[in-house]
Amino acid sequence: MRVIIQLDYRDARPIYVQIKDGVKRMIATGALAPGERLPGIRELAANLSINPNTIARAYKELEQEGYIYSVGGKGSFVSQETTAADAQKEQAMQRFDSAARELLSLGVDVEELIRRLEK
Amino acid sequence: MIEVKGLTKRFDNFTALEAASFTAEPGRVCGIVGPNGAGKTTLIKHLVGVYRPDEGSVLLDGAPIFENPAAKARIGYIPDDRFFFTKAGIGEMMRQYRSFYPGFSQEKFDSLRQVFNLDEKQPLRKFSKGMQKQAAFWLTMACRPDIYVLDEPVDGLDPVMRRAIWGLIMGEVAERNVTVLVSSHNLRELEDVCDKVCIMDKGRIVIEHSLEDLQANTVKVQTVLPQGAELPAELKVLSRSLMGRVTTLILRCSAAEAKNRLSTLNPILLDVLPLTLEEIFIYELGGESDESKKVV
Repeated sequence: MRVIIQLDYRDARPIYVQIKDGVKRMIATGALAPGERLPGIRELAANLSINPNTIARAYKELEQEGYIYSVGGKGSFVSQETTAADAQKEQAMQRFDSAARELLSLGVDVEELIRRLEK
Repeated sequence: MIEVKGLTKRFDNFTALEAASFTAEPGRVCGIVGPNGAGKTTLIKHLVGVYRPDEGSVLLDGAPIFENPAAKARIGYIPDDRFFFTKAGIGEMMRQYRSFYPGFSQEKFDSLRQVFNLDEKQPLRKFSKGMQKQAAFWLTMACRPDIYVLDEPVDGLDPVMRRAIWGLIMGEVAERNVTVLVSSHNLRELEDVCDKVCIMDKGRIVIEHSLEDLQANTVKVQTVLPQGAELPAELKVLSRSLMGRVTTLILRCSAAEAKNRLSTLNPILLDVLPLTLEEIFIYELGGESDESKKVV
């Protein structure tokens, strides 16, 4: 499979978080189907030129969050129960959070946001 | 495992290294950073057994590295200044390496040919600095060392080649569990590849820490506080500066803690940002002091 995780060096998020979000986005968009194998740690480390332990950490957390599962010696796979909709929801929530943060920092108060949500 | 214990080295009256200690484990990448003249290259020359320690020890799996061919056979060294025989091309150097390093793999050498794409017959001295560096990587990686000691490894390489070489080294870490020790001034790049960093200053190792902990426990805060607000006394402030109404703080705590403690002051603006390795370096070594500003 083509690795479509892109690291953005101007991004304030740590690299392992960028990898996690990248995998989640691929699941959400269907670029990774349930049951599909993720790129191996070695392969991804060599491909992105980053420390394999960073990738291992991202995979471990994705596993704890239920997005993927690992089979000893075979690699990591996209969970069956993680429906694309779940991952998509999570992605949208993240966009919502960052938009809300931006609005709050622009001086819009919480009540105004709540009024908008209720509309 | 590489262990450096209380390593001291003096040249005449100059103490280049003073009681330096650290460890590097297999499957891990350890970055060695510090200002010019901090002792990085002196330390590295001990790691590869070129210098004899005045005091302390430099061990590979418990055995001293100095004058120990068995240990040196397992170490691949990319020095900042490249050395090849005067008239030798890559093919001839390859035969030299093959005769010295028991781990040399012809198969590995052949498979790396497509990455480097260098003329094997041309004398190496006719190569540019970057091409010589590529040749050094090609030869060293073919020896399949257990430990890589890299002094400014990608200095002089173009961006495509830097990525390719880091990719190969990271592959070695994942596949063969090699130990990597790397000195570099390119902190942005080290951030991607290191598990841990040793920050050196004036011959001492001032910080030896996992990059993850370092970045999780030091944060940058940009905030606009209400008039007359006092910072909570429990906050450990490494640096504080005011630009207009925006206060920039470097704090020794987690992002969550910074947020919790500062929110109680009802700030008008509160942004908590992770620190880059470059920023950690600058704040730890006091590069942001007035000294450097006076020049400008």
